[in-house]
Amino acid sequence: MQRQNRIYLFVIILPALIIFVSFFILPMARLALETLQGPQGVGVYLTMLTTGRYLETLFYTVALSLGVTLVTLIISGICGVFLQRNNFFGKNILIAMLTLPLAFPGVVVGFMIILLVGRQGLVGSISQAVMGEKLVFAYSMTGLFLGYLYFSIPRVITTVMAAAEKIDVNLEEAARSLGASTWAITKDILIPALTPGLISSGAICFATSMGAFGTAFTLATDIDVLPIVIYTEFTLSANIAMASALSILLGLITWGSLILARSAAGETIAASG
Amino acid sequence: MKKHSKLFYSQLGLTLLAGAFLVVPVIQSVLAGVTTNYIAGLKSGLTLRWIVEVWDLYSDTIFRSILIGLTCLAINLAAGVPAAYVMAKKKNRLTRVLEELLVVPLAIPGLAIALAILIIYGQYTAFRRSWMIILAGHVIFTLPFMIRSVIAVISSMNMSELEEGASSLGAGFWARFFQIVVPNAMPGILAGSLMVFTLSIGEFNLTWMLHTPLTKTIPVGLADSYASMRLEIGSAYTIIFFFMIIPLLLGMQWIAKPRKIHPNEPAEIKKVDMNTKTPYATVKSRKEKPGELKKKSGTSIQIHGCAKTFLDGTRALESIDLAVEAGQTVVILGPSGCGKTTTLRIIAGLENPDKGGSIYFGEDDVTDIPIEKRNVGMVFQSYALFPNMDVSDNIVYGLKIRGDSHEKRRRRLDEMLSMMQIEDLRHRHIDQLSGGQKQRVALARAIAVRPRVLLLDEPLTALDARLRDSLRVEIDMLLKSIGITAVYVTHDQAEAMALGDKIVVMDHGRIAQIGTPRKIYFEPINRFVAEFIGTVNCLAGRLEDDYLIFPGGRILIRDLSDLKFGDKKSDVEVHFRPEHAVVVEPGQGHFKMKVVSSFFMGDRTRLIVNGDTPAPLKIEAHGRQSFTKGQTIDIKLDLQSLFTINE
Repeated sequence: MQRQNRIYLFVIILPALIIFVSFFILPMARLALETLQGPQGVGVYLTMLTTGRYLETLFYTVALSLGVTLVTLIISGICGVFLQRNNFFGKNILIAMLTLPLAFPGVVVGFMIILLVGRQGLVGSISQAVMGEKLVFAYSMTGLFLGYLYFSIPRVITTVMAAAEKIDVNLEEAARSLGASTWAITKDILIPALTPGLISSGAICFATSMGAFGTAFTLATDIDVLPIVIYTEFTLSANIAMASALSILLGLITWGSLILARSAAGETIAASG
Repeated sequence: MKKHSKLFYSQLGLTLLAGAFLVVPVIQSVLAGVTTNYIAGLKSGLTLRWIVEVWDLYSDTIFRSILIGLTCLAINLAAGVPAAYVMAKKKNRLTRVLEELLVVPLAIPGLAIALAILIIYGQYTAFRRSWMIILAGHVIFTLPFMIRSVIAVISSMNMSELEEGASSLGAGFWARFFQIVVPNAMPGILAGSLMVFTLSIGEFNLTWMLHTPLTKTIPVGLADSYASMRLEIGSAYTIIFFFMIIPLLLGMQWIAKPRKIHPNEPAEIKKVDMNTKTPYATVKSRKEKPGELKKKSGTSIQIHGCAKTFLDGTRALESIDLAVEAGQTVVILGPSGCGKTTTLRIIAGLENPDKGGSIYFGEDDVTDIPIEKRNVGMVFQSYALFPNMDVSDNIVYGLKIRGDSHEKRRRRLDEMLSMMQIEDLRHRHIDQLSGGQKQRVALARAIAVRPRVLLLDEPLTALDARLRDSLRVEIDMLLKSIGITAVYVTHDQAEAMALGDKIVVMDHGRIAQIGTPRKIYFEPINRFVAEFIGTVNCLAGRLEDDYLIFPGGRILIRDLSDLKFGDKKSDVEVHFRPEHAVVVEPGQGHFKMKVVSSFFMGDRTRLIVNGDTPAPLKIEAHGRQSFTKGQTIDIKLDLQSLFTINE
């Protein structure tokens, strides 16, 4: 019966295996091969790393992602701990507001930014009324930055709140009994306890920003991020080999940062969006 | 009254600002979608025309998104749930690698995956042009979420023990999967389903690359409308999107909240629990109704040459032989790791003995018969009651598997409920039961199928001391009144002595001694058994003339006539238990000792005494006398109860 059980187990996992191999393993293998099929062969990787345009894109994308990650960690860190530890009227509504955008695709986020700081945006109308000048950020790096911030803050806040909940209250009480001030407690107990969670959510934030496509697509800025360049190489320039090589580069960077996240936090996490 | 500090207000301010940043544009877009003219503002009035126009333009997109979402969900359920079960059940290197691999699609930007799919399958025009190619991308992207969600739930409960419980009642692979695994994994399946559907509806990165003008989804349509339509249309379309996504989001948050099934009032629980006035033995006095369990003796059990080496090389059991007579209760006793549970599981059929071992139930060779067909009743250490069924469904589960009619099941259920005195628990949920109640339900479930043999794996270990004492008595009477063959595993020697007709003491995979409780207690075969079954004191001395001389005193050898010392004249050891030494008046004892410490335990005083013996002796005193440290006392031994250990 044990052998029969083993056969059944194999049979029921088979559909998932077939799907996974057919639609992920094989295509990715083919993608890797495709990078070598272009006019330059293996040289495509060299071109990728030495052409000014691609390097510039890579630089902008990494800088943007790092900047967003840093700002998000600070904002979400403060807000997350604050919400977890305090109770006040309207707290649940505030939490709902802050976690709402979790399900928004990048395109919708882009649209939200346009509504806020676009040509007919709220900030523009207010600044027009107050200063006489219409401030429009949406189509520059600032707009992109705000967009990435928009989808990053909810993700990191939920992780920070969960991590803050796990902190042992006894640790802080022990510190207080030994005479520690609020700042000392924050510095010596709170932040160290949150650090694994901050590292892991920071890495996820970075990976998500690196791979984000919809937001940049909607905002259609002059500055291209890596996913947009991949898209244009494939659809407009039909440079499949380069598009594939860039995709692999992007994939390696995001995968690498998620492995870092997991080793800091100890669980597997996803980058989506 | 809490007065909020400046720090509080500044943090609150930051949080409100962040919240506003996120929510204001949402409100804006909702307003814009119902305003006649966005630039003119609310003055221009509210209207539904934009929403209607969006519906005319994009309704097919909306239906297509729902179609893809539901199909994606269906595939995830059919392929993902079974895969998650296999991966949670078999935690070996292969499944771990698979778990890692499955998550990789989440690490790679959707754009890249879509590109890869296009390169390899783009040539199949029919596929390329249909919504199926989008579906393929969505499945790859959502499968890890469903699988992880289900694995998390299965791993958080002791699913393998529940499955063993079901097997012991006769359930085969598919019965276990659909009746036990899936219902208990339901929270994970639900959470996973909501997440899969939500992710599919909102997916853009993959979909943008894979779509064609004829196969658009909602996010693709949104991108279109933002780019090429007026703001009001984009906003109205966004409203429809919110309308779909926000309930899903709320649903996911609601599922994630842990929900408690409220336990009953403590008073109520106590009443049923402590009902030891009319124990199980009353079964005998009732008139036997048709279909009731007649006083049958069960079958005998014989184990020949069974050893067990596990896959990782651990030698759990050396070759053992054991015989249990029909109707007997045999207790396998030993410390952790001695092989007692392995022996029980081999009898049950949950483990196979190494080649050459065999097991007989009466005349039948059951060595190759799996547990589902062996007709054993098994009570597990943590009871393995099925959480997805109430008490009654648990008890009759084995009968349901056997295909008994509804009427037969109901009658047997009534018998079991009254035999175990748990009539009030008929419709209770498993989470609402106390430890003692769970144990009774577990017993009822095991006995309901009229097994040939009843196997109990440390059933009382999880309960507190007082409950253990009272339930021990009840189990003993139950086993005697049914007359079934029972094998009971425990590490508690008091339990073993109270329950067993025969005790099998095991140590490091071997049987150390088999015997009645009295034999084991008074005539242990070696030091291990002597020390495991109770406290042992050792007096070492030498034989000289007519006396056994030891530090502190001496005894006439002829008073020790039933002891055999062999040829040894020195380093002779005699052993005795604490209760066989009494404190007497000075001069009336066999020897003098000094009190090191004394513990008053209520019914007796435990004394640790010293007097040039290799180790301090533990003896007991009764009555009201109290002792002080350093006090010298006289001790008299009950000479009949001395024993030697001949190893």
